[in-house]
Amino acid sequence: MRPFTLNFVRPRALPTVVEPYSYDASLQLNILGDGRPAVADRDLLLAVGTTTSTAGSATHFDD
Amino acid sequence: MTVLILTSEQDVTADMVVAELNRLGVPVMRLDPADIPGKAKLSADYAHGDFDGHLSVHGHVLSMGGLRSVWVRRPGEPAAHAPEPSAWLTAETKQALYGMLYSASTAWMNHPGNAEQARHKPWQLRLAHYSDFAVPPTIFTTAPRLAQQFAETYRDVVVKSASGPPPDDPEAALPTTLIGPDADFSTVAAGPALLQRYVPKRADIRLTCVGERQFAARKRSAPGQVDGRYGETGHPWEAVPVPDRIAKSALEYLSLSGLAYAAFDFAEDEEGVWWFLECNQGGQFGFVELETQQPIAEAVALWLSWRRTDRRVPTPPWLPGDRG
Ligand SMILES: Nc1ncnc2c1ncn2[C@@H]1O[C@H](COP(=O)(O)OP(=O)(O)O)[C@@H](O)[C@H]1O
Ligand SMILES: [Mg+2]
Repeated sequence: MRPFTLNFVRPRALPTVVEPYSYDASLQLNILGDGRPAVADRDLLLAVGTTTSTAGSATHFDD
Repeated sequence: MTVLILTSEQDVTADMVVAELNRLGVPVMRLDPADIPGKAKLSADYAHGDFDGHLSVHGHVLSMGGLRSVWVRRPGEPAAHAPEPSAWLTAETKQALYGMLYSASTAWMNHPGNAEQARHKPWQLRLAHYSDFAVPPTIFTTAPRLAQQFAETYRDVVVKSASGPPPDDPEAALPTTLIGPDADFSTVAAGPALLQRYVPKRADIRLTCVGERQFAARKRSAPGQVDGRYGETGHPWEAVPVPDRIAKSALEYLSLSGLAYAAFDFAEDEEGVWWFLECNQGGQFGFVELETQQPIAEAVALWLSWRRTDRRVPTPPWLPGDRG
């Protein structure tokens, strides 16, 4: 018997964005292709959705 | 004195705090427990009645005597990146790492013992009662008859999960869903169901608490919208003042739960009452800061870098002394 709550599962489109930054271990920060820190580009952060509540719930319990 | 951030490399929300710590000139080490053993190294010794320990990663070294605070953000499972990962290796590595950090005298955002308890939604509702929040009537039950009765009493009720969507299916979402008393409740017997009275909602509220600092944000709902996270409304998150009564309750909740950080979700009804829905002990804040310009990352950095005279973490009275 399928638990009641699972009747309300909906498919979720997986985000296909490739994150346009990579981790720099000595700076301990993610860096954009042009060498600026990822946090310098707030529009990009909003667009990739990495910091949003839904993104969190997909990857982690504590959204 | 160094701030330790436990999180994954891809976590750009942690970047926002690292950048603030850099600006404040506070030393920081960022480490993913998944990288122990391997990229990150650990040793702790207990001899002659004394203790010291060290962590190192990518040339950064941290001694436990120089540890100011620990921010548990989005850490990987210990040893997850090891060449031959196993449940046993994770358990051993967890013992070594968290055992060492618990041995140090440091401030935690949040202490894993408190975090673990704080994740339980039924307990959150009880703590919300004690903190004098308005809490919608809620039932957790495996009894179909009681679920049915609850829905008949309150008519419009929502179903949601306590732990999130099934973790083994990345394509599954489990949005809060509105149902009525006509639903078939028989399968409630197959797994505990969480039903709550529907709050006719004007807006979703997110209250982010960093120690004693509080940041409230509000997002208007579309007519008839249930789960604020699904469906574009065109309404942005906007900064709003924290009502005095809510501020007092939130402080009480943090103190009762032993949490240094928490992100509360509320539903604002037509009278303007903020109904407590949940308290996320590690809730995301990047999206709020980016939309409202509230300086949350800075507040986290300041809390972590604060010099404390007494750095012991108080144990709430109901937490067992031995956290196993
Ligand atoms: N009782 C309720 N009445 C109206 N809306 C609700 C209710 N409970 C939850 N919601 C909506 O669903 C969202 C998610 O519910 P929440 O209780 O925060 O659980 P979680 O975020 O863990 O899924 C809320 O932010 C809110 O928009
Ligand atoms: Mg929520």
